[in-house]
Amino acid sequence: MSANRGSKARGAALAAVVPLLLLAACSSGSGTSGGKDGEIRMMVNLTDNLDRAYWEKLVKPFEDESGLKVKIEGPTGKSVAESFPQQLAAGTAPDVIQSIFPDDDTAPELVDLSGEAWAEGTPMFDAYAIGDTHFAVGVGTQTQSLVYYNKTAFEKAGITTAPTTWKEMTADLGKLKKAGYTPMQTAGDYQTGLQLQQIYHPTLNELHPKWQSAVTNRKLTVGEAYEPAFQMYADWIGSGYIARSDAGLSPSQADGNFIAGKAGLYTNGSWFAATLAKAGKLPFEVGVFSPPVADGKTYPGPQGATMANPYMVHKGASDEAGAKQLVEFLVTDPAAVKAQLGSDGVFRQESEVEQTGTDALIQGILDHAPALVAVGEGQGNVRLPVAGFNPKFTEVAQSLYTGASPADAAKAIDQWTDENR
Amino acid sequence: MARTLPSKQRRRRSAGVSISMVVPAVLIYAALLVVPVIYAFYYSFTEYNGFPTRVPEFIGLENYRTVFGSDDMTGTMVITAVVAVVGAVAVNVAALGLALLLKRTDRFNTFGRVVMFYPHVLSALVVGFLWQAILGPQGVVNTMLEKVGTDSLPFLSDPDWALWSMILVIVWSLFGVQLILYLAGLQAVPEDLLEAAKLDGAGRWQTFRAVTWPSLASTVTVAVITSGISLLKTYDVVVSLTGGGPAGSTKTLAYTILAVSFPQRDIGLASAQAVLLILAAAVLSLTVLFLRRRAENDAESIG
Repeated sequence: MSANRGSKARGAALAAVVPLLLLAACSSGSGTSGGKDGEIRMMVNLTDNLDRAYWEKLVKPFEDESGLKVKIEGPTGKSVAESFPQQLAAGTAPDVIQSIFPDDDTAPELVDLSGEAWAEGTPMFDAYAIGDTHFAVGVGTQTQSLVYYNKTAFEKAGITTAPTTWKEMTADLGKLKKAGYTPMQTAGDYQTGLQLQQIYHPTLNELHPKWQSAVTNRKLTVGEAYEPAFQMYADWIGSGYIARSDAGLSPSQADGNFIAGKAGLYTNGSWFAATLAKAGKLPFEVGVFSPPVADGKTYPGPQGATMANPYMVHKGASDEAGAKQLVEFLVTDPAAVKAQLGSDGVFRQESEVEQTGTDALIQGILDHAPALVAVGEGQGNVRLPVAGFNPKFTEVAQSLYTGASPADAAKAIDQWTDENR
Repeated sequence: MARTLPSKQRRRRSAGVSISMVVPAVLIYAALLVVPVIYAFYYSFTEYNGFPTRVPEFIGLENYRTVFGSDDMTGTMVITAVVAVVGAVAVNVAALGLALLLKRTDRFNTFGRVVMFYPHVLSALVVGFLWQAILGPQGVVNTMLEKVGTDSLPFLSDPDWALWSMILVIVWSLFGVQLILYLAGLQAVPEDLLEAAKLDGAGRWQTFRAVTWPSLASTVTVAVITSGISLLKTYDVVVSLTGGGPAGSTKTLAYTILAVSFPQRDIGLASAQAVLLILAAAVLSLTVLFLRRRAENDAESIG
């Protein structure tokens, strides 16, 4: 009898404990992550052209010189941005992380590179500082505020020079429409909000320098900052310069429309130059200009830019010194920098890398920009007090396509910002 | 002469064997399903980013207040309810209708069953991309409409159209399983009752209402609950067909949890949303079971 009771009690205890043991076994350990001895794990953004072979070739000289092995890893989820926090939570984060930036959550998990002499001269190093600490170093910039245009369409529409004011731009859109072109190509998905921000960066940053900080300090609301842009877009949609149906169009279809010569203007970042190069010979010549500025301001305005090919080192790296050495190599070795500048729409001010015609136009815009400014949610110390701004901004920008007024759009983004502060 | 165990001891041994066979399954179920739900419930009262270096901070009902106090979130919950209710009705009507057409086994119907089940074999992500190519502004349908000189239709670029287009696509991708359930249910309808109804001169509709429908009661319950829960979890099709747009008009709760709250590492808020989803699924299931029980009781009292 007593034996039975004892066995039942053991069974009950086992039933209670085993799930927890299983859960503990499945969950993370708190020990250090990283690869085997002498191996550095680097998580990178894998794309069609930045494939595993590209990355392995890039780090080969480092491996030969240091005797360390670099293990290239793609994201386990949708993106590096999604995978890195997941791996941090699971205790399996890589030693070096490429393509994303620190935020309030991830910063405590990263190595401060402020004291590294080699890091100081790298592009946008100070722009990405959080407080006095520097967690990310990069190779160049991805230039955001660019308007690509179809020179043939401009000629047929009788436009001789690229617009530098919003009034000229609106007039040019009208001429392009009359000439039978889609005046401005836009798209749905993330691109709706991105394009509206891209085209408005220079103006916004002239009117409200470091506008993200002004919103954080409650001196400005996002709605106040963007309402003129909402108004401008709404007017263009109303005039048929932007197609309402673009809200349901995929970004790749929008790329295709511009490449096929159907559109006059197309707002995009410097990475679009790689898409154009890949498309081969186009039926028209591509031009690029910096977006217009506000009335009475000097053209060109500040250029929206993000640090390109940023690298960060995980604090739990098994070989932190080796991981730092690898990052130093990637951002300072002349051959490695050159390879990355030629890879995927990455530019560096005053760079002398051999370039295609479109690349050279972008390089000129970057070199002549009076300043490089934070985009979207912001970066480093110039940040909005909310996370998830870009997807919400896209949603609000799309509401202009579906009938919302600019005032409604401004109110919606302010309400969301207040709810999420 | 073989010794026989006393019946009490035999029963106890048999019970021991049964328990030992059940316990592993119960443990796995508890570890993989019950424990995570308990954790989700716990995290829903905390502010936490999911990192082992951070301790979850207890904040009481704050996450639930955020969910119900945000227009964005309440809008998402309304869209989820519309998708679940309208979708479940449409899936089951379509599946039952087709099951009635395909219930006889001949070569054509066997082929028909395979074709009808085919959408369910596709990944929901593929389904979304496929229909994007069909219904998008430059998709197959709109290109054909333009070719014949008609205006294109805003399947994915108008908020209302996009919601109904998405429900249609989800129904298309889901009804295969329900079709199989109904086909199995129809096999179980007593032949003698159907023949008796025929002999009594009942028409097709009368036979369906008086014989087939009551016999399908348990199948309908299972089909409605499973399809309703699948629809509550709608995520993949949203990602690949509409991306939640235009203007957030197709954002479901599951999409918000997986594409917004988790990527922002707002584990507490995401857990609160997940708990609400679990409660919604429970309410849906219990409501359907309650309605069925009441219908059965009514039928018995009439009988």
